Amino acid sequence: MKRIYLIAGIMVAIAILLFVNSGKDMTTYGSFADANSSTKKIKIVGKLAKNKPMVYDPAKDPNHFSFFIKDNNGEEQKVVLLKAKPQDFEMSEQIVVTGRMKEGVFVATDLLMKCPSKYKDEEIAIKTKQNG
Amino acid sequence: MEKIQYIGETLLPGQIGQMGVLLAFVGALLSMVAYWFATQRRESTDYESWRNIGRYAFLTHGLGVFAVIGALLYSMINQLYEYQYVQAHVSEELPMKFVFSALWEGQEGSFLLWMFWHVLLGFVLLFKGKSWETSTLTVIAAIQAVLATMILGIYIGFGDEPSKFGSNPMLLLRQTIDAPIFAQADYLKLIKGNGLNPALQNYWMTIHPPTLFLGFASTAVPFAFAIAGLWTKRHTEWLKPALPWALFCGSILGIGILMGSAWAYEALNFGGFWAWDPVENTSLVPWLLIVAGVHTNLISKATGHSVRSSYIFYLLGFLLVVYSTFLTRSGVLGETSVHAFTEMGLESQLILFISVFTLAGLGLMIWRWRGIPHPKSEEHTTSKEFWMFIGTLILLFSAVLITGSTSLPVYNKIMQVFNPAFEGKVITEPVAHFNKYQLWIAVFIGYFSGFAQFLRFRENNWSKNALRFAIHLGAGLGIAGLLTYLSSLLIELHTWQYTLLTFSAYFTIVSNLDYLITHLKGKLKIAGSAFSHIGFGLMIIGIMASGVNRKIISSNAFLMDGLIAGGDEEMSKKNITLFRNVPTMMQDYLVTYKKDTLDHFTRTYTVNYQRKNKKGKLVEDFNLYPTILYDKSFTKIATSNPDTRHYVLKDVFTHISALPEVEQNFELKKQREEELKYKALNLEQGRTQLLHDTLDVENQDTVFRRTFQISLESISRNPVHHEYKPEPGDLAFSTKLKVRRSDDDSVYYANPVILLRGQLIYTYPDQIDDLSAKFKIGQDAIEKVFALDNQLKYENINLRQGDLGKWQDLKIKFTGFNKAPEHPDYSRKEGDLAVGAMLDITAPDGKTYHAEPIFLIRDQQPLNVKVEVSELGLHVRFPLLDPGKETIQLMLAKSSTPSSIPVEVATDSLPSNYIVLEAMEFPGINVFWFGTLLMMFGLGFSIWNRMSTRRSGESLA
Repeated sequence: MKRIYLIAGIMVAIAILLFVNSGKDMTTYGSFADANSSTKKIKIVGKLAKNKPMVYDPAKDPNHFSFFIKDNNGEEQKVVLLKAKPQDFEMSEQIVVTGRMKEGVFVATDLLMKCPSKYKDEEIAIKTKQNG
Repeated sequence: MEKIQYIGETLLPGQIGQMGVLLAFVGALLSMVAYWFATQRRESTDYESWRNIGRYAFLTHGLGVFAVIGALLYSMINQLYEYQYVQAHVSEELPMKFVFSALWEGQEGSFLLWMFWHVLLGFVLLFKGKSWETSTLTVIAAIQAVLATMILGIYIGFGDEPSKFGSNPMLLLRQTIDAPIFAQADYLKLIKGNGLNPALQNYWMTIHPPTLFLGFASTAVPFAFAIAGLWTKRHTEWLKPALPWALFCGSILGIGILMGSAWAYEALNFGGFWAWDPVENTSLVPWLLIVAGVHTNLISKATGHSVRSSYIFYLLGFLLVVYSTFLTRSGVLGETSVHAFTEMGLESQLILFISVFTLAGLGLMIWRWRGIPHPKSEEHTTSKEFWMFIGTLILLFSAVLITGSTSLPVYNKIMQVFNPAFEGKVITEPVAHFNKYQLWIAVFIGYFSGFAQFLRFRENNWSKNALRFAIHLGAGLGIAGLLTYLSSLLIELHTWQYTLLTFSAYFTIVSNLDYLITHLKGKLKIAGSAFSHIGFGLMIIGIMASGVNRKIISSNAFLMDGLIAGGDEEMSKKNITLFRNVPTMMQDYLVTYKKDTLDHFTRTYTVNYQRKNKKGKLVEDFNLYPTILYDKSFTKIATSNPDTRHYVLKDVFTHISALPEVEQNFELKKQREEELKYKALNLEQGRTQLLHDTLDVENQDTVFRRTFQISLESISRNPVHHEYKPEPGDLAFSTKLKVRRSDDDSVYYANPVILLRGQLIYTYPDQIDDLSAKFKIGQDAIEKVFALDNQLKYENINLRQGDLGKWQDLKIKFTGFNKAPEHPDYSRKEGDLAVGAMLDITAPDGKTYHAEPIFLIRDQQPLNVKVEVSELGLHVRFPLLDPGKETIQLMLAKSSTPSSIPVEVATDSLPSNYIVLEAMEFPGINVFWFGTLLMMFGLGFSIWNRMSTRRSGESLA
């Protein structure tokens, strides 16, 4: 047996070990019900509840943006994002928030949105008619 | 239905483009087949004719690709909106310099860019490839044939839903979209372009994609050589010509990736240069593999070991580029990436692309496996090749880990095929996850690249080398330890893992410098590897300094020192609100948002930074100019561009993360303005008026009562307002209002302006943001201040030319006549005799105003045109000219100061005088840029050596 194969074998073993271990870094998307029963950070996919209030008043606190999300189980929950309000937030189709439950509010440290693509725009811009 | 004859369409570029697409596809196919036969029959007599067919077919293919690009570029420059791709990516407003960026903004364009580089690289192989021409170009032509299908845009199959093959960039708009507008024959006159995404309108978009795609394209060449070597069983010969190509690829691809991170850092608001985004990861992985391939290639050339590994690395390098294309363009990454990519129905084609080349490459590899030479003897653990090889395994290891984690969405998709109920997994904290593992990769690379330099290939006399090795190793470790200690005084290393990494980075820097000086003795030609390894070490040090020690200046000052417990929730609060002209303390800096200016769609903010040292002396004072770009309708912010102050040892980075709603959306601002409830007041000078204001308190049933005390301080006929630009002939004034509110101790002043220009009245309200109150002057005030002529009491004075007259407290000098007088109220008529009297009027405060009243005779009637010096409230007429006595008569009157001025007050305006800012300090970031550039430079530098050794025939390896 060559030494190099031995080393390669050990590295493969470490790789497998790391992969198994890295499972800890991964989660499935959770729901607010999961968040309520855990103190760990989780990721939740949902849609913006557009009929509920969205509050961002940077004059008071630039790191406090609150809104409501309906998760995939249909549960609505108040979310506070500790960041500025993202652009085009109202237009999002889907929202992923990372955070945990604190005193009845889901406190998110990160947010990703899926927006309708800019490139998919199939509208044709029409020139404004000019007189004369 | 009758066919419409469309007006104004330019169809020729489309036809040329379509022809080009077909030519590119057919040419590549034919070239592949011909070159394949030429390679198979390289011993027989018809070799040359096959090769020639292959050549001409490839040249034709190249011509086709150039034709498509040319036709597309022509259509884009001339804004031929009849073409869908043109309509989608350019617009009238788009500056010409961005037309290339627009060309490769879309999927089709970026495929064309990729193909363009393959054509150029193919041409080099065609002319310089010698015995490798036919076999390597078979591979390149095959790749090109597959890429050409991506832009074919033809439908194959029958029935109602034939499958679409590729997306053609030269399609007409009316062929792709069914819209009612196409019922009009002159539809072209009515449409305009969508233009380039404003976020992409910067020079990075011009230079980053071409460089990155050249890097991607150049992975195809070592791949082609590897296939060629396996195919023609020249397992050792291919290694030499492949090496310079691999070095070229490593260098260019590396620079391309680096440009991406520089873009992210300089122009986007990622707040760093690397975010472990899937798109970044999938371009890094091919680079790691190519660099690993370069190392095994060197081993193989020097010792005959590791030929199989060289094959595998070069094969994988290209395959991972294809995989990266699949990941980023199929939409599979979905919500895990911030980059916007769309599904274009190319998924199955991309999967086919990967499968074909993976099967061909790895199949050939397995088939030829046994025949690939490998020395019977084993590498010594004291030899250079042994440790270099372990190093490449570590690079592979890194590539596998990154690919594995990045492919999680793919894994989820596959699992869902078998089990639709499978719940997809995601990485909770991607950055921490990647850093945790890649840290160890970097530690090992640092150590190995340090000491392996002092080992020798095919070591067979270790005892002789051992002492030298030990001395250099010991010196390297010692100096690295010292440097690590010194660094720990400057920057925070946080954990023992980071300390170890810093140590290993210093070790490779020191060892390679040592190697450069003592071993190479300055022989620059072969110093490429030393340069690259020093670069690697510096890069790690740079990451330690700027990444690990990144300081968020705009967050709560006590957080960084760990004074507040709250963990990452508190840490993620990175923004601060800055009110205009209110200096705010941010860490060591006193930061003031000074002003902003709007130019076209770009709004530039001036943010001043001041830092004092402990003695209170000002040591830093600079302005940063972050900008935001509005979209075309001014209803939202298209992009926010940061600004960075560069120092040798650190950067101060600033970007605007939010604005008041009314500043983001001008429609909303207008709407709010119209909704304001103004209350009218009649203010008398010297008397304070009270205004009671009721306020609904959110979620409470009570109302809140406040009282405003408002008084008129003075009226100024020299009005100043940030929106008012004075013009000659303007009648304008401002009122200085003193305002207090019952719940606020401060005294505020507002200076609204009103203007009469021609027949139109303009009001310029003034806002006191702290009180959410807005003030404007009532329109009736104009009449009160600029009194009607018949209410004025004129007095006469006579003046001779050159005379200095006095009237009330004014000195009036008559300097002469103007034969061609001008006045907004006077338009010259045929037969007019008109003359202006040029007057210099000096007020008691020493200010001099010029006035030019006009006397004229029209139809034998004497007339005059009045001039009003609005700053003085002075009215001047010139009714009489006595030619005999050479005197003029002037009529002068002053309008009286009105006893009261109507003012309107709104107490419900939104404050709009602030910005939300994120600011960071990156210490030592220049070390990172310098290190990475040096690494790529080292790779490129080695080509020089390889090329010249090839020419001179000597081996320096």
